[in-house]
Amino acid sequence: MQLQKQASRLDKLMASRLWKSIFRSGRGASTLHRSMAIQQNVFLHILPTKVRRRMLNFDATWYLGTLTLGTFLLLVITGILLMFYYHPSVPQAYADMKDLRYVVSSGLFLRNLHRWSAHAMVLLAFAHMFRVFYRGAYRPPREFNWVVGVILLLVTLLLSYTGYLLPWDQLAFWAITVGSNISSAVPVVGHKIHFLLLGGNLVNANALLRFYVLHTVILPLAAVLFIAVHFWRIRKDGGLYVQQSEPARETAEEARADENTQQVVVKQ
Amino acid sequence: MTGPSDYIAGVSSDARKAPRRVVFVTRRTSAHVRSVDEEQVQTWPEALFRAALIVEMLVIALVLISLFFNAPLEGIANPTVTPNPAKAPWYFLGLQEMLHYFPPVVAGVMIPTLLVVALVVIPYFNINIRPDGVFLKHRRRNLTVFYVVAVSLSLFLWFFDVYVALVPTLVAAAFMLIAAYSGPQSPGRFRRYLVSRPVSWWIMTWFLLELVVLTMVGTFFRGPGWSWVLPWRS
Amino acid sequence: MEQDRKQKPGELQQEISRRAFFTKLGIGSLGLATAGTLSFAYQYMSPNVLYEPSPIVNAGNVEEYTTDSVTLHPALAIYIVRLQEGIFSLSAICTHLGCMTAWKPELNLIACPCHGSRFTDEGVKVAGPAPRPLPWFRTWLSDDRDVMVDRSTVIPPLEFLRV
Repeated sequence: MQLQKQASRLDKLMASRLWKSIFRSGRGASTLHRSMAIQQNVFLHILPTKVRRRMLNFDATWYLGTLTLGTFLLLVITGILLMFYYHPSVPQAYADMKDLRYVVSSGLFLRNLHRWSAHAMVLLAFAHMFRVFYRGAYRPPREFNWVVGVILLLVTLLLSYTGYLLPWDQLAFWAITVGSNISSAVPVVGHKIHFLLLGGNLVNANALLRFYVLHTVILPLAAVLFIAVHFWRIRKDGGLYVQQSEPARETAEEARADENTQQVVVKQ
Repeated sequence: MTGPSDYIAGVSSDARKAPRRVVFVTRRTSAHVRSVDEEQVQTWPEALFRAALIVEMLVIALVLISLFFNAPLEGIANPTVTPNPAKAPWYFLGLQEMLHYFPPVVAGVMIPTLLVVALVVIPYFNINIRPDGVFLKHRRRNLTVFYVVAVSLSLFLWFFDVYVALVPTLVAAAFMLIAAYSGPQSPGRFRRYLVSRPVSWWIMTWFLLELVVLTMVGTFFRGPGWSWVLPWRS
Repeated sequence: MEQDRKQKPGELQQEISRRAFFTKLGIGSLGLATAGTLSFAYQYMSPNVLYEPSPIVNAGNVEEYTTDSVTLHPALAIYIVRLQEGIFSLSAICTHLGCMTAWKPELNLIACPCHGSRFTDEGVKVAGPAPRPLPWFRTWLSDDRDVMVDRSTVIPPLEFLRV
């Protein structure tokens, strides 16, 4: 009885003028409405309205890309929350770590979640790359999306690496000292890169601030941008890769030629 | 112009699910199947619900981990004391292991740059797209290339005492030898599987093997002064 | 020949059209502006004033160092080494990747904890991946016979300061 009443209230809300003005697709369970739910939504319209059923099987993708995106969203949320209690300065940054641990409500939990999600994201991004390779999904016409994926892997590693300095503990300081010294091994411009990266000759307050800006603004923006391209290209390149149902293409030229010829489609 | 008898017309009639398709096949060409249409489902709700479900499971797992395991936090950064050993995050420990053997310009600059370039160009070379087993076509040539590369790489690693990277290389080479001296009719499913693997598969698998072994060694088996230790003896 | 061709009517106009000229002008000025922006960005991103410790440090009275001793000053990141030939100072920062090294009296060596490089008390590399020996710093005695070290000036090795 109660449930029915609630359901009808929801129906009423979804039929209202306000709801319709926000969600252009309107309500309904028809194929048209469900297509519109994707197509008429600014965030979802980079996805195709339809997918092959076989791609939803767990063993087709192991959902590794979806999971990587999931960790990224989790990191954005926990990261923004952590920013409310973090000062990127020496030695306040370390004191904030102690505060998060012992003083801030749920601070310890949020920091843990951010840290472990970051590790999970690196692991999942690598797993996703190897999975895509072993399924052969990098082949034309999807070659550029593979490149976008490599860029995203690098952004992930850089995000994780810049975040590593922020606690300003011994682990952070020496990992970044060693890592940034690698950049000075670059021939000719190495010391300049090192100086620019740290904003000085030593891992110091300047370096902490630079890494903070990279970690919280520049790299996440780059990640969001490339993730959008990555998803959009899945749709444009013909959906997720399905073995067997796609013609075996051995060269890029073949894939391009296929797109230009009329295909005879046989229903199974 | 062609008369009505010059072509066959067919109609795909599942208009409820897909737009109506009309096909004209002229008598002069033979139709052949380039792709097979598959059953499709709506992204909303089928795909998005599954994605939401799997992400929820991930969040639950990570929340549980975060409740029971605390993120590490050591003493405040102290430029005068280097912890022994000083380790990079785990995903860079493979590189740090290489830094132990080679000068920074090789292990820290050249190897990562080469890796990224190698990954980026994979789909742009037809050799990485062909699905043939590496020793099935051009067997003599490929076998020669394999021997030259495997022996020179092993000698190089042996010369610089990089036994950590040498062992996975030798393991991969041993499996390639099995593939080289088996055929599509060989007994055993595993051998037939190895025979059918293309060259890109072998390179990537070798890379994966090196990555896993080097990261494991760096994470668990390296102690003070980057010397060998056993993880269960601390 | 060249002049003949140019004198033909209409030929001169075809060499560069008005549209192509403005396209080139536009792209060229855009390129110049980009180069200028990049150089400004580079200048902006490299700090002009650094709040880092002074490179010239006082390592204490020379009489504190006995002959054949190696003393690490962790806060200054230098060793003061006194041998029969004299006294000198050595960087304590590993030339490999910048870790702080430590003196191991039992081995008679300087060892780096990060990647296992080892050096003699004169800074010569004996093992590990370090590309260069530990640098010698300019060292002198003040009027009060304090050991002064300029950590920004590297001198050739084996230039002992006789005391």
